[in-house]
Amino acid sequence: MQDFLELAVSATASGCVYGLVALAYLLMIRPTGIINFAVGEWAMVAAFGGHLLLSRYEWPYPVGMAVVIAFMLLVGWASERVAVRPLVEKGAPLLAPILALLGVLVITREVISVSFPPDPLPVPFPVEIQYYKYFVIAATAMVFAGFWFFFEKTLWGRTFEAVALNRRAAALMGINLSRVTAFSFAGGAAVAGLGGLLVSPNVSAHYLMGVPLAIQGFTALVIGGVGRVEGALIGGLLLAFAEQLTIRYAPIPSGFAQAVPLLFLMIFLIVRPTGLLRARA
Amino acid sequence: MRWLAAFVVLSGAAFLLGDYHNDVYRKMLLWVTLALGYNFLFGVCGQVAFSHFAFYGIGAYSVVILLFQLNVPLPLAIVLGVLVCIVVALAVAIPSTRLDGFYLALATLALAQLFVVVLNEGGSVTGGTGGIANYRLPAIFGMQIRGPWYTGVIVLVLLLTLWILMKLDRSWFGRACRAVRDNPEAAAAMGINVARTKVIAFTLTSALAGVAGMVYAFVDNTVNPPIFGLENAFLLLFMVIVGGSGRHAGAVIGAVLLFLLPFWLSPIVGHHHVLVFGVLMLAAILVQPKGLIAIWDRGRDRFSR
Amino acid sequence: MKKIIFAFLLATGIAHAQTIKIGVITDRVGVSKPYSEPATEGVVFGADEINRKGGVLGRKIELLIEDDQSRPDISAALARKLVDQGVVFILSVSLSPATQQQQTVTMEAKVPQMTPMNSADYLTTQLQNPYFWQTGPLGSTQGATLLAHAKSKNFKKVALITDNSDLGQAIGKAFKGALEKAGIEIVADEVVARGATTAMPQMQKIRAANPEAMFLAGVLTAENVLIFRAYKELGVKFPIHSSYNLSVPIYETVAKGFINSITFVDAYDPDKPEVKAFVAAYKKATGKDSQNLHGYGYDGIHLIADAIRRAGSTDKEKIREAMQKTDYAGVMGKKGMKYTFPEGKRAGFDPDGMVVRVYEKDKQGRVVHVGQK
Repeated sequence: MQDFLELAVSATASGCVYGLVALAYLLMIRPTGIINFAVGEWAMVAAFGGHLLLSRYEWPYPVGMAVVIAFMLLVGWASERVAVRPLVEKGAPLLAPILALLGVLVITREVISVSFPPDPLPVPFPVEIQYYKYFVIAATAMVFAGFWFFFEKTLWGRTFEAVALNRRAAALMGINLSRVTAFSFAGGAAVAGLGGLLVSPNVSAHYLMGVPLAIQGFTALVIGGVGRVEGALIGGLLLAFAEQLTIRYAPIPSGFAQAVPLLFLMIFLIVRPTGLLRARA
Repeated sequence: MRWLAAFVVLSGAAFLLGDYHNDVYRKMLLWVTLALGYNFLFGVCGQVAFSHFAFYGIGAYSVVILLFQLNVPLPLAIVLGVLVCIVVALAVAIPSTRLDGFYLALATLALAQLFVVVLNEGGSVTGGTGGIANYRLPAIFGMQIRGPWYTGVIVLVLLLTLWILMKLDRSWFGRACRAVRDNPEAAAAMGINVARTKVIAFTLTSALAGVAGMVYAFVDNTVNPPIFGLENAFLLLFMVIVGGSGRHAGAVIGAVLLFLLPFWLSPIVGHHHVLVFGVLMLAAILVQPKGLIAIWDRGRDRFSR
Repeated sequence: MKKIIFAFLLATGIAHAQTIKIGVITDRVGVSKPYSEPATEGVVFGADEINRKGGVLGRKIELLIEDDQSRPDISAALARKLVDQGVVFILSVSLSPATQQQQTVTMEAKVPQMTPMNSADYLTTQLQNPYFWQTGPLGSTQGATLLAHAKSKNFKKVALITDNSDLGQAIGKAFKGALEKAGIEIVADEVVARGATTAMPQMQKIRAANPEAMFLAGVLTAENVLIFRAYKELGVKFPIHSSYNLSVPIYETVAKGFINSITFVDAYDPDKPEVKAFVAAYKKATGKDSQNLHGYGYDGIHLIADAIRRAGSTDKEKIREAMQKTDYAGVMGKKGMKYTFPEGKRAGFDPDGMVVRVYEKDKQGRVVHVGQK
């Protein structure tokens, strides 16, 4: 029983990270429909930033964290400016920015790869290792609470929702579409960056960490549904629990356990493709 | 007759190139074959799938396992290999007809990853993580087909694939696929069986990829899991988009360019070539989202005025 | 007088013109980069050293270095390219599957090839390629050496954990074989997948099986770090015995605080006189500190140079024969170890040649056991 409780905490912490990545996708998909697979690489950039500031230069954690997140806002905004806006203005099909962002993914990964030594790099824990999971859960809860509040209660959030529901109508009502898009990308990058920063003390910062995170986050998104912010977190938690409980308790050889989330996902897609939570009408 | 000329020219080139260039050439031809099939699935039928390369792997592994683990004679092995691909494709396609857009993408992404897991865990059947090596193409009619002659086989498969796809493209099936891609509801209203069209398109292109895979198995005479990893699926997508999706010529251009690009870049920029690769991709998409073939068209139009 | 000058110019001209070409296939951008990069640096340093001392048979070594991006199919094409360019030997310092792929080419082209670093056992057994040699420490050797050390502790039940990379699986299989042969029961057999965010469930399962020790066969640094973290979090105390992957110095920084008293099998004895000489020479020439990985590359190029010298020519058949008769002491291996290829075998790392070391206060520490006895 003690095992299960420990595992539950561990799965919750992992689920939070997946949820953050899913949230990052969601922030960008809702107003634009663009699926940005580069969120994984963004998480990686933040992880390396964390290593640089916190490990190499040994800045205090809150300062380092704030600077990294601020930097990610910039990165997100820049990505949108370079890879998305020109295509949207030209009226390119939706797939084009998605692919352009895949190009950004490759470029980001390579820039990091040549700037740092090839081995994984350490990122320090802000608190003792036993308490770190709670830190992750708390940080994630705050972020999700913040976004939920933002979308439900503030005018800006409603604007965002309006664009998500109907771009054209929103534009006609005078909402500045490109500004909303820019903010959504900046926000997405910051959230993904936080996810990367939170997962990296455990996993260390290495330049191949992006793609698995991107896939895990996307899976979480599909499970939870694109419609609501909470869905991202729920999807992440469900995925993490499925993964970890299977490894721990399922009587199958451990090599196959890694296939279970994939199967889980495929079946889920067939039975309930729109995700668990529905969007608001 | 143009087909015969193309066959002679493409195969003949193999005899003029040195060993190394022949190897690069052969692999490029295989990628072109894959890109053609993927272009049909993605560009003409509008299905975003990441499983194409996995079927390449299924074909390769099937023929090797059938021939050398189960000792099935070559012609039967080929037929059975194709059947395996068809069965797996149907197993994925039929449930997926209810999904579209990025859901199909995700399901096929999962399939591609699952494939590698199965290969790695397959023990002595798949050779596990080391794969299977140490085999040769069995003699056909008493002849050993090697080197440049084998390139001829590859060219044959490529031209066959192209021929099949071109015929399909121009037929009512091609029109049905396009209709389904552009507006499924309207297509259904016109009497097209949307689900069946999608399933046939997916299964057919996946089987073609499987055949290409069977041919690949004897190029390096090794199959192992790293060869069929997920990055290749993304590369295939890039090839088709950059070349120009929906057009056969686009697939050819995209495949040739993106396959050869790392070889050309490597001597110039050393190990930063992947970075340049990414930048070029981004630039290509920003400048001409319809693909390089559109640039070609424009150039041609301008000259013919 | 003119004749003498002319002869002198001719001689030096010939000496400069005819280099001995040696191909190197490495990985500069893919998953093998953390290992391939230092190994390649070792090769380059070794070649420079040889050239400064006059080269081989009076000729300088020219390295033709290719990058296979960790893609086995490109690897084979590159091997062909090097063969076309007239190399007399190919050094493979990329992944094991890539080396395997290159073998299909070198076997057909009858060009000597060696890997100084890969440890997969199947490289010399899957293909009967008389032109290929492997001097990296085999996974089976690692398992046996580690086991010999563990046997003194009389373990009856142990756990095994690895990752899902192909090398991690290969080493895991080697460990399993060695353990089973020694009659030790494996009570838990776990895998941590690449990209995992935690190894907690696997460690819980292992804890529940109550082993006396845990054997670690994983080779992915990030995933190994996850294992150490989970180990610490769960507060388990059984000793960890690890593959040679733990000999990579990066663990001293990235797993600081988590690796004290972990034993690992290594091919590097810091007390060995050849090692001390190498470390000093490398520091002097490049100003940088070397790691054990550099030693693999360094030994590789020297083994090739040694074979060519004994062959007395660059004829590939003569080189092949000379290589098979190698008897050379390098940087890697225990004190006094020599690389040899007995009885037509092509794996040259002495099965008795590895050592077991232990991490002391997060630094790679002393040797606690030598060989397989």
